[in-house]
Order: sequence, then structure tokens, then C-alpha cells
Amino acid sequence: MQRSYLFILCSLASCALFLGCSKNDPSAAPTEKKAKSTFKVGMSQCNLGEPWRVEMNAQIKAAAEKHPNLQMVFKDAQNDTLKQRSHVEEFVSAGVDLLIISPKEAQPLTEPVAKAMDAGIPVIVLDRRLLGDKYTCFIGADNTKIGRAAGQWIVKKLNGKGKVVELKGLMTSIPGQDRDRGFREGIAGSNLEITFDADMKWLEPNARQEMESALSRCPKIDCVYAHNDPGAHGAYLAAKQAGREKEMIFVGIDALPQEGVAYVKEGILDATFQYPTGGAEAIDIALKILNGEKAPKEITLGSRLFDKETIDQGGKELQ
Amino acid sequence: MSIPRRASTTQSPFSTFWSVPATRALVALVFVLLLGCVFNANGAFFKIGTHRDALRQASVFGILACGMTVVIISGGIDLAVGSVLALVAVAFSLMSIHGGWSPFIAIPGALLLGAICGGVSGTVTAWFGIQPFIATLAMMVFARGLAKTISGGTKVSTIIQSADGQYRQAEVPGIFRFIDSSVLQTRNAAGHATGNLAVVTIIFLVCAGLVWIVLARHYWGRQVYAIGGNEEAARLSGVSVRVTKIIAYAVSGLLAAVAGICQAAQEQQGDPEAGIGYELTAIAIVVIGGTTLAGGRGGLGLTLLGTLTIGYLEKILSINAVPEASRLMLTGAIIIIAVLAQKRRKL
Repeated sequence: MQRSYLFILCSLASCALFLGCSKNDPSAAPTEKKAKSTFKVGMSQCNLGEPWRVEMNAQIKAAAEKHPNLQMVFKDAQNDTLKQRSHVEEFVSAGVDLLIISPKEAQPLTEPVAKAMDAGIPVIVLDRRLLGDKYTCFIGADNTKIGRAAGQWIVKKLNGKGKVVELKGLMTSIPGQDRDRGFREGIAGSNLEITFDADMKWLEPNARQEMESALSRCPKIDCVYAHNDPGAHGAYLAAKQAGREKEMIFVGIDALPQEGVAYVKEGILDATFQYPTGGAEAIDIALKILNGEKAPKEITLGSRLFDKETIDQGGKELQ
Repeated sequence: MSIPRRASTTQSPFSTFWSVPATRALVALVFVLLLGCVFNANGAFFKIGTHRDALRQASVFGILACGMTVVIISGGIDLAVGSVLALVAVAFSLMSIHGGWSPFIAIPGALLLGAICGGVSGTVTAWFGIQPFIATLAMMVFARGLAKTISGGTKVSTIIQSADGQYRQAEVPGIFRFIDSSVLQTRNAAGHATGNLAVVTIIFLVCAGLVWIVLARHYWGRQVYAIGGNEEAARLSGVSVRVTKIIAYAVSGLLAAVAGICQAAQEQQGDPEAGIGYELTAIAIVVIGGTTLAGGRGGLGLTLLGTLTIGYLEKILSINAVPEASRLMLTGAIIIIAVLAQKRRKL
């Protein structure tokens, strides 16, 4: 008896939850035939667990809100490739006018995107690449270039010599590999030496642990180069606890307004290099495509340097 | 503490010695420490700071494992601890950093939140007869969702976005700084004072002490063992199985909340993505210690040894800068070695 009551209660509660959700979800609302002046744009995000991707969605939303003829629908695949694939298929069957996708990985998502193109839906690919060239436009930044810029900045800052701790992002991920390769290219030829490197998997608590190990191992550290800002922040906390934060400079990547840029303003980090999300650019290109203009096949976004000198001017454009 | 088992009818001194689970848990720990002495990373392993850091890093997992021990001895399992940790870390950061609440309100509030989460999964398990694996799995997913909802999907840090889109900087609350500090200060050559025992480690030891008293010295603890050993027999001898189980899960939730507060203080923020996979580490710690997953046997002292084993293993791999891939393989291998040592052989 008790159990059946609970069952009914639970079912009612979950029904209420679903109803509540569907009100906020424009894709569930019945689609009416609209005049061609409004466009429905689908955005498939691979994962909203990372602040950088939250920022990407926020930029897209902010840019789209300036154009009342764009109706955005966001979907989050929660880092699940097959979920993202079905999101793409749902957008195609819902008949969106344009699809923006930031894919989790290339191989399994290439074909679903190609099918969207076959259905006559233009596709803008953000950040990560797909295989082949069956998309309308790719917008992304160059991690190797950013890593190289970080390396060169550190060489200049330390006058060409010193000991560096490198806290890497996940080394099985392409951004981690590129930020590492670029950095090593950037410091090549100088007397900078990487005394300790470890994989902190993009996570701040891990970065702090690895930095503690580096501190107990290395009597002198001149610079910490972390593949993202939370990593550099974790390293700073470790060094501060050991009373050695003044001994070294801290450099991160990503420069999100609430993370890296704020850390530089506070004086925690010495520099951070922006890894742009391309959200605003995606909406610009989307409008061009929807208005029948020609869009470039590929856009490589520039990066910005935020350090003590440039932070108040909103960073410095990197060449 | 643990209930010793008779090894065999004819006991040699060694087999008596070996039949105590704590001895075998100690073997695994000594093995790991010996590894540390051999691979000492140019003497870094012999520095006191390394040990402070190792203990500090193990503390959050240790606190989770204390709660996990209670639940596992009662014959259950709690998969929700990692998510509850994140939920509490987010809630505690919202209260302390954004709300500016006094820790005297924020800490009890955070603890209550954790205990409620545990109590709910306990109730679902005990009252409605849902398997603990499923009930706590549901809580694990739910609490993660709730953490993401109340945080708005981003980290709750000292950098706060105002309504006009500008960012302002809040102070790191004193309670965060206190929990993340360390005591027993000594001065280094440069005159900088560093503590040698982290406050989170003290919190862990206090939690472990309290749970040990309850499990080993209190009648409620005996009831937990009784339920885990034989639920039906416990019921027939007048143990209130449901209430005891609910309290066991509530204790686990409460300790997950303590861990969440420690996590937030160490990160200076509440990350809704924190604690993913921590439940598995906590279970591994309990099992390496020698508490059996079947329930009814084990103890908190064993979990303490398990915490040190896992904590030191991680630190040793870290100071030697072992690449991630090898780390995972080595950790897997050592877990198997430790559990094999726990498996009682006829000697």
C-alpha cells in the first residue's frame, strides 16, 4: 500500500518536473510555419561541464539576442558522443535553418553533420574539427600558436633562463598536446629548462597536488606554465602555502573573464593567454549565411595577451 | 574495532598474527612506504612537507571513506558521496562567499544538507526496500543535478558577476582560510613560517575518531555490525533495522558534507563538477583496509590504514612525476596486491 502511494507520488512529481522543463524548452513547443524573416538556429554543445563552454554558449546567446530574427535552441550533450549525434539528428528533423555544433570528437560526428548538410542545413563547426570538408564554416583557435606565444612571453620575462614547471592538461586530448608542443617550440633555443611536468587533467585540485610535489622536489622554480587558468590558480595556492609564491611567475591559458582575467587583475597570475570561444563570430557568420552571403570556409581566431601592463586596456592582440 | 576471526584450529604464532586484518592492511601500507623510500625523488619523500601534503590530499578521501565504512559494514554501499560533496561545496560557497553568512550558520546548514541527502537515500533503501546500489545511484545523479542548478552550472568562486555583467571580487571568507591553513609551524631558512599539519587532516582525524567510537564502543555501532552480518537475525533480536540503516546513510551524507566543506575551502570555490569518481576511491580505501563489501566485518581502524595506503601511493607517484598512463596501471596493480593480501590464506 505504502509503496503504491510512493509510486504514484513519484510519477506525479516527475510528470510535474517534465512539464516544468518543457515550458522552458522552445524545441518542445509546437513549431508553426514562420515567415522567412525569422530563423531557427540549433546549437549543439558537447559538454557544459567546462566553464569555457558555458562562456561559449553565453556569448552565442548574447550575440543572438541582438538579432530578434534569430531563434536559438541550445542542447548540451553532457560529454556523450552518441547523445550529441542524436541532438544533431533531432535538429535536422526539427528543420532548423542553421546548425552550430561544437563537436566532442571528429569521427562519430562527421556523418551526422554531413547528413544535415545533405538536408540543406548549413553547419558552422566551432572549436574542434570534423573529418573531411562537409561543413559550411569552421571557426577555431590555434592552441599550438597560443602555447608558442606563452613560451616566447616567458622567455622574454625571465631573460631567457630559468626553471619551469609545466602543468599539462589532459595529454590524451588534442588541446593539451598542442599547448605542450607550442610551448616547447616557444622556449626552444633559450636556456629555459622544464624541471617538472605533470598531467593535471585540467583540474584545479590535481594541479595543486602536482605543484606541491614540484615544490618539495625542486629547490628553485622560476615559472609555472599551466595549460589552463584554474591549473595556474591551483599552483599559486600550493606555492602560497609553502611561502614561495613570490619566487616564481604564474602563466595560464584561456582568459575567461571570471577566471584568468580576474586572477591577473588580482595579481595571482602574471599572464594569461585568451583561447577565444568564437561564440560571437559564429553568430556573425550565421547571419551572413542565412542572408545568402558567401561565408569563408575557415576562420582562425586570434588570441589576446592579458598581463599587468595590458589588463586595463582589455588585453593585447597577439600577432 | 574489527571482529577477529579464528584462522585455524592449530595456530602457529604467525598465522595468529596474520589472521588479524589490521596486520594485513599494515603490510600494504608498509609496502607503499617502502616504495616511497626507494623512489624518493632526490630525497623529497623524506621532507616533512611532503608528508603534510600527502596527508592533506588523503584527508578528503579519508573523510568520505569513514562514512563509507559505516554504510559498508551495515551491508550497503553509498555511491552518492562524491555528488553530495559537490552539492555541499557549492552550497557552502554560496552561503559563505556570496551570502557572506557567518560560519556558525553556514557550517551547520551545509552539514544538515549532507545529512538530509544521506537520510533520503537511507530512507529509500530501508523503508521501500530499494537496493542501496540503485537508491544511492539515484541520489548521486540527483545531487549532481541539484549542485549544477543552484550554482548555475559554473564554479561559485570569489569572482562574482553582478547584474550589469561586470565582475567584482569578493574576499575569501576567513573560515576558508582557516580550514586550508596548517598548524605546528616551523620556520624555514628564509624565515617563512609553514605549518606541518593541515587543518583538514585534523578534521579527518576527528571524524575518524568519532566514527571509531560509535562503531566500536557504542551499542548503535554493534547494531550496524549485526545488520550487516545477518539482517534477519538482527531484526529478530530486536534491532530496529530500518532506523539503524537510515542513520547509517545519514552519517555517510554528513561526512560527505564535511568533505565538501574541506574541498570548497581548499579550492576557494564551490565547483559543481568536484568529486566525480571520489566515491570509487572511498570504496577502494575501505576495501584495501580489509572491510568486506559483504558487510558485518571490518572497522574504522582498517579504513585509516587504507586511507594512508592510497594517499601515500598517490603522493609517491606524484613526486616522481610518473606519467598519467603508468599511474593508472600502477594504482590498479597495487589495489589488487593490497586486496590479495587481505584475502585470508590457509597458512
